[in-house]
Amino acid sequence: MKKPFLLLGIAALTLAACGKRSSSDGSGEPSSKKKMTEIRAKGSDTMIQLATAWAESYRKVNANVMVNANGGGTGTGFAALQNGTTDLCNASREIKPEETAKVKEVTGKDVKEFAVAYDALAVYSHPSNPIKEISIEELREIWAEGGSIDTWEQINPAFTGKITLFGRQNNSGTYDYFREHICGKTAEKKQREFRGGISELNGSSEVVENVAKTPTALGYSGMGYKIPSVGWLKVSAKKGEPAVEPGIETARTGSYPISRKLYIYTAGEPTGETKAFIDWIISDDGQKVVAKEGFVPLK
Amino acid sequence: MSSRLAGPHSEEAAFDRVPSSAMPARARGKKVRLLDALEKPIEWTIRICGWSSILAVIAIFVFIFKEAAPMVVKLDWIEFFTSPRWIPNPAPGNAPSYGALAMIAGTFSVTAIALLIAVPVGLGAAIYIAEFAHGKVKETLKVLIELLAAIPSVVWGFIGLMVIGPIVQSVFSATPGSTWSHVMTTLHLASRDTGASQGTNLLTGGIMLALMSVPLIVSLAEDALRAVPDTFREASLALGANQWETVRRVLFPAARNGLLAACLLGMGRAIGETMAVLLATGHSNRIPQALTDPVRTMTATIAAEMGEAVHGDSHYGVLFILGIVLFVVTCSINVAADLIIKGVRKTNRA
Repeated sequence: MKKPFLLLGIAALTLAACGKRSSSDGSGEPSSKKKMTEIRAKGSDTMIQLATAWAESYRKVNANVMVNANGGGTGTGFAALQNGTTDLCNASREIKPEETAKVKEVTGKDVKEFAVAYDALAVYSHPSNPIKEISIEELREIWAEGGSIDTWEQINPAFTGKITLFGRQNNSGTYDYFREHICGKTAEKKQREFRGGISELNGSSEVVENVAKTPTALGYSGMGYKIPSVGWLKVSAKKGEPAVEPGIETARTGSYPISRKLYIYTAGEPTGETKAFIDWIISDDGQKVVAKEGFVPLK
Repeated sequence: MSSRLAGPHSEEAAFDRVPSSAMPARARGKKVRLLDALEKPIEWTIRICGWSSILAVIAIFVFIFKEAAPMVVKLDWIEFFTSPRWIPNPAPGNAPSYGALAMIAGTFSVTAIALLIAVPVGLGAAIYIAEFAHGKVKETLKVLIELLAAIPSVVWGFIGLMVIGPIVQSVFSATPGSTWSHVMTTLHLASRDTGASQGTNLLTGGIMLALMSVPLIVSLAEDALRAVPDTFREASLALGANQWETVRRVLFPAARNGLLAACLLGMGRAIGETMAVLLATGHSNRIPQALTDPVRTMTATIAAEMGEAVHGDSHYGVLFILGIVLFVVTCSINVAADLIIKGVRKTNRA
């Protein structure tokens, strides 16, 4: 049901853009400088909200540039970059060497990489929970299908009771990232799925609010969604290693294990309006949008 | 048709015969002729209005089946009905699983809890309003219950999440080892010795659905009770039965079918509800073991996942198959209710 409306919306926007373009073209010499420029951005679904927020805010900076943000996945974004159907590729991972080679082969240009934000997930628990540390291996046994940890006392006898799990719905980027990062691989080198019985909630803040109301809760959500009535766990990469508090600094340095960089890639050195847009994203104003959308800004 | 058309024609002729007021008569004649010409289109408009509901049902039916058709062949139906493993968006390299058992169990368990609460409350309220309440009390109650029916379902869900959920959680919580903890685990009121793990669960969802289907049950059951002729009541009272005996021994059997239909339609309402259960049941894909376990329903799954499912994808098709399952269940409930109500008419006529 949503799709036709979305398509209609896109069609309407495109029409509006075309209309504006032709009218400014037709109105003679002086205004032809104010031609509408379109920047196409495609890629990561994790970044789609961020990209849309950037596009909206950038309209206020330069009303003659329209940024069209689309999802589809990071891989799709790289394919579009190579085919020239997008100007920017939003990526939630680094480009692979074969993708770099492919872009070079088809377009003759080297890809250019821009780090634009950090994505860090916090593992939230109830503030009354005395357990304050957890390792990636323990998280894996808690969340992954066939995992062996069901109760808090299996982690630390300081707290008892079955763990109540709150996650995101299965089409969100957060779900994908946590699964990829935490659940690990099966014996056949395949990605392990989440176990059954996790409450799959429709929003990042819904996870945090449910954790706040549930003493035995454990939930994952973006770091930016912390509220005073929930606690979060320090995470260690391995059991026995020092656990790291989630935070902007630890996410940036990479010492906090559940964080990753988000990138924008272009084919060749960006020029003109595209360059201006990327420069703005990296500037303080663009990074304010990053923080507002629940991601970690660069500086 | 022709006899109906004869009316205006003869009237027109009558106007023509009066010469003194030629102008107004001509005008009036025109008006009549206009109405005459409009009669056919109006008749068709009304006919189309009547048919539109049938057309809409057929169109919905065709649409759902068309969208689900590619998956009907491809779907592993045994897995669909016997496995609780629902992974529609697997990691790259993994195959999706479409096991809907937990959702089917969730839908039916929430509905069952809702009916356990709504049927006694609804029928009780209907009996009170139809037989015991008088004057202002009766009118006020009727208006208030109708008002209850007008509250949007998302508001109910919100109340479940914010108000009923925390209450359920605090009632169903205990220190391990206490009597209440023991009672809860043995009676399957809670699946762990500390009580309910979260406020949004089967019971909370059931309470919300009960509150939503009570108005429907009350108004239909009250209609059924009022349809019993007064002679029945008078005869019963004349034989020395008191009011309660009259209700139980005379009115209940006489209105039996109508009351059953009211409950069935209430059930249809509960099964099809989406927003309230999405917010109030915890949306956790598991087969419930206890009254306060979180569950996930078919409707909530469709609502949560349809927006992002790729058009024409197998996930998209399976969501439509869930829709078909719901459609078949609610349709059979409504048809059953309809047949039962027809039974009422027949016995009343006899």
